[in-house]
Amino acid sequence: MFLRKTGWQAIAAAVITALLLSACTQTGSGTGSPTPGASSAGAKVLRMARNAEPFSPFVPWQIDDNPTLFISVNIYDTLLRTTKDGTGVEAGLATKWTPSADGLTWTFALRDGLKFSDGSAMTSSDVKASLDMARGGEKSAWKDNYVAIKDVTATDPKTVTITLKQPYAPLLSVLAMFSGGILPADMAKATDTKDYDNTLAWKTKGTGAYYSEGWKKGDPIILKRNTNYWKGTPALDEVRIEYIPDDNTRVLKLQGGETDVVDFVPFSQIATLNTQQGIKAQTFSIQQTAFIILNNSKPPLNDVKVRQALNYATDKDAIIKNVYFGQATAMNSPIPQGTYYDKSLPGYPYNLDKAKQLMAQSAGASGFTVDMQVRSGNTNFANTAVILKDAWAKIGVTVNIQTLDTAVVRTNYRAGDYMTTPSAWTNDMNDPTEIVNYAMRGGASPFAYWTRYNNPDLNDKITKADLEQDTTKRAAMYSEIQKIYLDAAPLVFIAYLGATAGWRNNVEGFYIDGLSYYRFEDVKINK
Amino acid sequence: MGRAAYIRRRLILMAFVLFGVSIVIFSMVRILPGDPAFLILGDRATDQKAAELREQLGLNRPILEQYWNFVSGFAHGDMGQSLLYRQPVGDLVLTRVPVTLTLSAYAMGLAAVITLTFGILAAINKGRWPDQLIRVGFLFALTTPNFWFGILLILLFGLTLHWFPVAGFGETVPQHLWYLFLPALTLALQLSAVLIRNLRGQIILTMRSDYIRTAHAKGLSERLVLLRHVLRNALLSTVTIFGLQFGFLVGGAIVIETVFALPGTGQLLIQSITARDYPVVQAITVVSAVLVIVVNLAVDLSYSFLDPRVTYE
Repeated sequence: MFLRKTGWQAIAAAVITALLLSACTQTGSGTGSPTPGASSAGAKVLRMARNAEPFSPFVPWQIDDNPTLFISVNIYDTLLRTTKDGTGVEAGLATKWTPSADGLTWTFALRDGLKFSDGSAMTSSDVKASLDMARGGEKSAWKDNYVAIKDVTATDPKTVTITLKQPYAPLLSVLAMFSGGILPADMAKATDTKDYDNTLAWKTKGTGAYYSEGWKKGDPIILKRNTNYWKGTPALDEVRIEYIPDDNTRVLKLQGGETDVVDFVPFSQIATLNTQQGIKAQTFSIQQTAFIILNNSKPPLNDVKVRQALNYATDKDAIIKNVYFGQATAMNSPIPQGTYYDKSLPGYPYNLDKAKQLMAQSAGASGFTVDMQVRSGNTNFANTAVILKDAWAKIGVTVNIQTLDTAVVRTNYRAGDYMTTPSAWTNDMNDPTEIVNYAMRGGASPFAYWTRYNNPDLNDKITKADLEQDTTKRAAMYSEIQKIYLDAAPLVFIAYLGATAGWRNNVEGFYIDGLSYYRFEDVKINK
Repeated sequence: MGRAAYIRRRLILMAFVLFGVSIVIFSMVRILPGDPAFLILGDRATDQKAAELREQLGLNRPILEQYWNFVSGFAHGDMGQSLLYRQPVGDLVLTRVPVTLTLSAYAMGLAAVITLTFGILAAINKGRWPDQLIRVGFLFALTTPNFWFGILLILLFGLTLHWFPVAGFGETVPQHLWYLFLPALTLALQLSAVLIRNLRGQIILTMRSDYIRTAHAKGLSERLVLLRHVLRNALLSTVTIFGLQFGFLVGGAIVIETVFALPGTGQLLIQSITARDYPVVQAITVVSAVLVIVVNLAVDLSYSFLDPRVTYE
């Protein structure tokens, strides 16, 4: 036995060495600022911790997840931009846009001296190539948004002409969406080829405030400032985005000074964080709604009176207070508080008597039991379900809460294999066309946000609202659509939510816009 | 049978175990409801697009063919493509193995030190207050969920005392060791709780043996008796448990990596299960199984060093 004398002593020695080593590094690194990159050589680096990592390919029109598109808006600019409050559009790469008299031809004048982050010039042919990929590319996830477009032409290097098959009111909003980000023509085309290596897309060439030299899953995302940016070079040298999935850990890192900005601060911690020195936390209003999806094809939920009764029996204020800690407002209309939102609608104020009355006249008069499928890990949904179980019991409805993996809940509602499930919606564009077509139009997939609600008359009105050019008339049409949908109550309407973030006091100008994006172009960090 | 033959036999057994693991994990991820195509494409995707993607990803091929591709690919060192990230699984998983492995080894190292210190301390103070305190204290560590325990350690050592960073992995090797200290300690404290009780019991038992009385009678110092005679014999069963706990560590690391934001296999596994990324889940499971088997083999081999009477048959 060659190790006879040194058996466990050797192991112990190795362990002690390792410990000493770690102790040394501890003292070596000091106690001040523990995170690397905090202030190396005076460079202004903003450190951010986020709740999720990108997974879509990093090509604007192929993006279908928030973590990727939040990065995209900092790198790939669009022809037009959504305003900060998320309710209008403003100049982006194009400074002027004029429609023809029939509304079928739109001419866009590009800004002078536009350059990509590598210094090469951006021209109308890049716009054409990118928009053609967004509306017709094999891999585009957003083709539906561009079906009204007949053709995109590079009229001259600084002019783009878009012709439409039919008048399309949401056109400008669609062009301001992240999916219409402009890439160099050759890169735009290359990304759509079958064998394209998606890791290459992270070596970006955009016209936005920042660019990336590459990213590998598991590493922090590093955004470098674009000195060719048309709005002027951003104040920050670099933005360094780390992935910290756990909500508590993210907040602790902010408190410990290891990061400058965090997103998705739990609603319950906003007030506490604001009492701490050196830290600010805030809820920004974004176009987001929280509600319960009801399966309108299954009895007794196919009876409108039952659905209205559930709406009246839902104490929105209790949910806002206990689930969202006051950081939300009750829904009065089925669409988020953006363009054409009708603030005069009554919603369903909590009214137990009315709920009981409606129940008595309905198919569910003798009471019934419904399953509520809740996505595991979503505390807000779980707490909402608990409150509803209690509230709906008062009108004779027994809620059977089932906590299931998110993937299972999604598969089930897609298949119609559910009764009720809590969900949420965020507008991706500032025009209601997206939500009304996705969440209210019935008859075909996605079956009015999987509710199976189908009102042919309403479907018709939705189609007409897309064609109407006159904004006053269009507003009236959307008011009517909202009212019809509200009265039919395919959902239980709960609350308008906000997006939360927290940051250290030396960070200036961080904001989340009306569509829940954050841009770093105006953010500064003070010493 | 010599040691070489023993190792050979264990490696053959390992192949069978891995075969079993591969079948179990392959079936389990497919029994889980939830369609990867819709998880990748999002709710907006049409049925037709999802069907195209399933075709492209090979998800609609016969199940046996899929299994064969998985196993034969693995045997050739090709773990396939991640459904979600469209990258080779090998690149995704293997870059993360060192993080989890370092965390586990670190935790085992800390656990060894903690166990020896407190196990001996408790045994020689049997029944007195240090013994009671150690036993109750570590019972607390054992029964507290580790994600909660981790947060408590962050609050104390990260936020209040500023001795260690709150979370993350750092960039250089010394930084890694520094960043990994709290997560490793979280795992180590729980692991030690089991080990200390065992070691304490074994030391007390061994101290009653005749040969210890002989050693005392020979006039050997208390210290020498304890270190050379008692501990060596008492350690044997503790080492067995220690080795078996490696599986527990790899499991515990899954949660701890999420709490401390460490880019290890555990964090990737959670993401991949949520996204039904079959090839990644399969690869991580098989790789973890290999690690656990290899460590258990190493533990079995270590007996012969600790106890010369052990032979391999």
